[in-house]
Amino acid sequence: MADKKFIDFYKKNLEETKRKIKASVTDDLLIVQIINNIDDLNKIINILAKDLREWYSYYNPEFSKEIQDHARFVELILSGKDKKIKQSMGAELSKEDLKPIFNLAKKIKDVFEFRDEQEICLEKMMKKVMPNATAVAGSVIGARLLQHAGSLKRLIMLPSSTVQLLGAEKALFRHIKSGSKCPKYGVLHEHPLIMKANRKDHGKIARALADKISIAARVDYFKGKFIGDELIKGLEERFG
Amino acid sequence: MIKKSKIFEVYETQLGRRNILLTKNLVKGVSVYGERLFNQDGEEYREWVSNKSKLAAAILKGCPNTGIRKDDVVLYLGAASGTTASHVSDIVGENGFVFALDFAPRVVRDLVFVCEKRKNMAPLLEDANNPESYKDKISKEVDIVYQDVAQKNQAQIFLKNCDMFLKKEGYALLALKARSVDVSAKPSVIFKKVREEISKKLIIIDERKLEPFEMDHCMFVCKKK
Repeated sequence: MADKKFIDFYKKNLEETKRKIKASVTDDLLIVQIINNIDDLNKIINILAKDLREWYSYYNPEFSKEIQDHARFVELILSGKDKKIKQSMGAELSKEDLKPIFNLAKKIKDVFEFRDEQEICLEKMMKKVMPNATAVAGSVIGARLLQHAGSLKRLIMLPSSTVQLLGAEKALFRHIKSGSKCPKYGVLHEHPLIMKANRKDHGKIARALADKISIAARVDYFKGKFIGDELIKGLEERFG
Repeated sequence: MIKKSKIFEVYETQLGRRNILLTKNLVKGVSVYGERLFNQDGEEYREWVSNKSKLAAAILKGCPNTGIRKDDVVLYLGAASGTTASHVSDIVGENGFVFALDFAPRVVRDLVFVCEKRKNMAPLLEDANNPESYKDKISKEVDIVYQDVAQKNQAQIFLKNCDMFLKKEGYALLALKARSVDVSAKPSVIFKKVREEISKKLIIIDERKLEPFEMDHCMFVCKKK
């Protein structure tokens, strides 16, 4: 490089940028990574469990049909409680043929356990980083909101009407573009208050819940007092 | 057979039926984003993938002049991982300089790795919306301003930066993404609005729609009065 000025710019900017990137890593980003990981683990579990059922059904189709829940299915196979009925249409497989099936079941069980561990980690981190929002929304929904907003700072800067619709972007933009029905909620859908309520109250509760989550997240961001239990209590009195 | 194209320091060659663009590789043997490298007469060339770079798309669509020349100082707003920025750094060569600016830490992390290999490129983690914050970190006047940010107020950011840093009669390039200005409005309406807004302060030389490479994008090449 001919110009000495540029060498200075190069060195200073490179150093400063590195420093800034180092400082940009915060706890809320780690939470987003954990929830992403949990989502992926769920996907993996589904794929593998489907494989297992397909494979196992050659041996004992009735049992696979009877137990729909993946976790229980794997558990029962491994503990040897998968008795064949007498008129089973499954083929007789030798021990050698069954071995890879059981190995797969073992691995799926490991993934189930690993996912539960990650969920415990998530809950711990959520309680540390966002105690109020966790009290109101629960750790998984709180983390999902963070995931959609990108970071805690961006989440608290969103209006609560946007928080209400986080995760329903597709439906929302369909509504804006072509005038179909407006969605009432996004990731908040899984919240117990909404799940329990009448269908007609869903929108109302989602709006009130988003309000309280917004307040709680803002308190968390500025490291305020713990008011989460008051907020959720108010909601439960109103709708519970 | 690699030969010069109409644009300064940009080369082209025929590959099968397709015409591809190339730039001379500043750092021998290094491919930045997985693009192919070509050798001819002891020189190494990097393929400029038009699906990944809006500037390459604009050139392929027939943009007659981008204004970027050898030894220029470029302010690049919205550099992301340095895909297009690395080609701009190829074009300006060793004596030029590129200030590559982006706002998101995640992509600047990749940009730093590119900049560490290229001595004529400096990364900046700053918000283009706020030129005051980085005015001491770049040179007072630049020859070129290139902007590719997906923000709602793209045009205002562009004018602000041109106002502060661009030299007289310097070129300014704006890759406009209509969908980030307004998702529901028609792109052509937005292009018209932006054209009016920019032409108050700059002379628009060329305007290219980037279909089929990028949907609803438009490249404006302007010159400061």
